[in-house]
Amino acid sequence: MHAIQLFDLTKRYGTSTAKSVLAVDRISFAVEEGQVFGFLGPNGSGKTTTIGMLVGTIKPTGGRFTLLGASGPKGLMAARARVGATLETPNFYPHMSGRDNLLVAAAVKGVGRPRIEECLELVGLSDRAKHRFKTYSLGMKQRLALAATMLNDPELIILDEPANGLDPQGIREIREIIRILADRGKTIFLSSHLLAEVERTCSHFAIIRQGRIVAWGAVAEVVGEGSAVLLRAEDTEALAGAMQTYPEATSVRRTDEGIVATLEADDLASVTRYLAGQGIYLSHLAPYRPSLEEVFIDVTQGAVDSMTEIAS
Amino acid sequence: MKVVGVLLRIEWLKTVKRRAFWVAVGAFAVFTAIPAVEGVRGARRNPNLSYALPESWPDILGAATGIGPFFAGVLMILLVAPEFTWRTARQNVIDGLSKERFYAGKVMLLAGLVLLFIATAVLIGVGGTLLSPSEGGLGILRPTDLSYMGGLALSLLLVGSAGLMLSVLIRSSGPALGILFLYLIVEEAIIGLISQAGGALRRSAEYFPFNILDQLGDDLAHYPEVLADVNAKRTERGLESWEFLDVEVLAVAALAYSAIFLGAAFLSMRQRDL
Ligand SMILES: Nc1ncnc2c1ncn2[C@@H]1O[C@H](COP(=O)(O)OP(=O)(O)OP(=O)(O)O)[C@@H](O)[C@H]1O
Ligand SMILES: [Mg+2]
Repeated sequence: MHAIQLFDLTKRYGTSTAKSVLAVDRISFAVEEGQVFGFLGPNGSGKTTTIGMLVGTIKPTGGRFTLLGASGPKGLMAARARVGATLETPNFYPHMSGRDNLLVAAAVKGVGRPRIEECLELVGLSDRAKHRFKTYSLGMKQRLALAATMLNDPELIILDEPANGLDPQGIREIREIIRILADRGKTIFLSSHLLAEVERTCSHFAIIRQGRIVAWGAVAEVVGEGSAVLLRAEDTEALAGAMQTYPEATSVRRTDEGIVATLEADDLASVTRYLAGQGIYLSHLAPYRPSLEEVFIDVTQGAVDSMTEIAS
Repeated sequence: MKVVGVLLRIEWLKTVKRRAFWVAVGAFAVFTAIPAVEGVRGARRNPNLSYALPESWPDILGAATGIGPFFAGVLMILLVAPEFTWRTARQNVIDGLSKERFYAGKVMLLAGLVLLFIATAVLIGVGGTLLSPSEGGLGILRPTDLSYMGGLALSLLLVGSAGLMLSVLIRSSGPALGILFLYLIVEEAIIGLISQAGGALRRSAEYFPFNILDQLGDDLAHYPEVLADVNAKRTERGLESWEFLDVEVLAVAALAYSAIFLGAAFLSMRQRDL
């Protein structure tokens, strides 16, 4: 079953034509149950707006969507009881302790106290649960937000930039929690502007740019498969020229690491034989895994500069 | 019905942890108790000075209506507006509360504050009577006292719902408080100006919210015998008699204004993104 389906979902902020912003522009894609889905895009591309519409804090101005198969105001209200979500920053009462904050969330979700302790345990906040939220570090705040989303043991977990502002250690912890949840069979939909993060944690992805979906699919499809090879030789120019004329190569391009060629068949021996025949001796030949970043660059072109900056 | 319980529980959890709540309720209790404390001390010192219910009601309710509505308005702003700056209103909705229910919780909070303030005034009245050596007259709560107490409730509701509306419309406690204060300061000035004007303006101005509030909080509007006394003295001195709108009219007007404020807040809440 579909966990989420979007059909031409649209949001325009403001009504005056001069000042209005088309934040999300007729986007459509689907998230299947059990997927860890990465919703990737640069700052201001419409990620938060899209998630806001899913969780019911932002009114769409066009299109429609389903959550866990449900649609319409009544159906969505009921479905949201089976969803856990955060939007942008962790939103809590600063003067209240972590535990008291979860008590409020639990009251909203109709969940009992024992579950609060379980969730605190899972995110490693049990020790600090009695301290006030405003004394928490950013990483602790993010983890409390994760604990809050899990209170009702949701089938679908929607996270808006869960790794935002965290150091590598914090990111690793969040990734670990997400992995545990995925192992328990939860569907996870997370937004991020970090390509590497999506590549590591997600099974599927969609890329949004300026409010439009520019690519979506399985991470393995674009990253894992294919018979791309990375080649290096003393004379890169000659290597590139030779590969251009190699009949089995469907594409050839230069990268910082060397020459990347996509081959019709996965036959490395023929490549070496062919190049040796041209008087070129390889110093390096290995299968090449393109990163999501490269896919991203391929599909977005225009935003390359800003994105590589963000991704690095 | 279950929803009501859930909303009350949520508002309770949020409110009791706020220092502003306890400070405001404490301050209201202290200010309301001051005349009672003085009354009791006077009665203990001088047997001719009596202080007990029901005769002490106007004193206590007068003190309560003097500052209660102001505290109710400020408290509503301090309890509601931060929900928008902290984005906890948004989180509540994400967690499964509809925007309408979130708002319903705040209306219940307002009702709770009104009841709490009235209960505080009643406790002070009863406490003062118990501590005072005097004996009160017949009955504990005369119809006129009940009317004044209703006036207190409606004043609290009126300013409290104005505070709720400002919080929901402005979504930030600083500016919302600013506008409430401005209104309270300007109120006096406008009443002064209008009372000098004549004819239709003066008559229509009687129904402005600040005038309704003013009259609801005035003991003379609720105790006709006292008003008759006062006016007799004024006539003796060649002064114009004081007039008040009927209590029923005041009540309807206060309820109408509260309904308008609460309705505007509801529509804004439903319409706008969080
Ligand atoms: N309340 C609002 N009113 C007007 N415009 C808005 C509002 N919220 C967002 N926008 C605009 O909508 C666009 C998308 O914003 P959104 O917050 O959805 O992006 P995002 O992908 O989440 O970005 P980030 O990575 O920075 O969080 C931006 O141009 C933003 O300025
Ligand atoms: Mg965002």
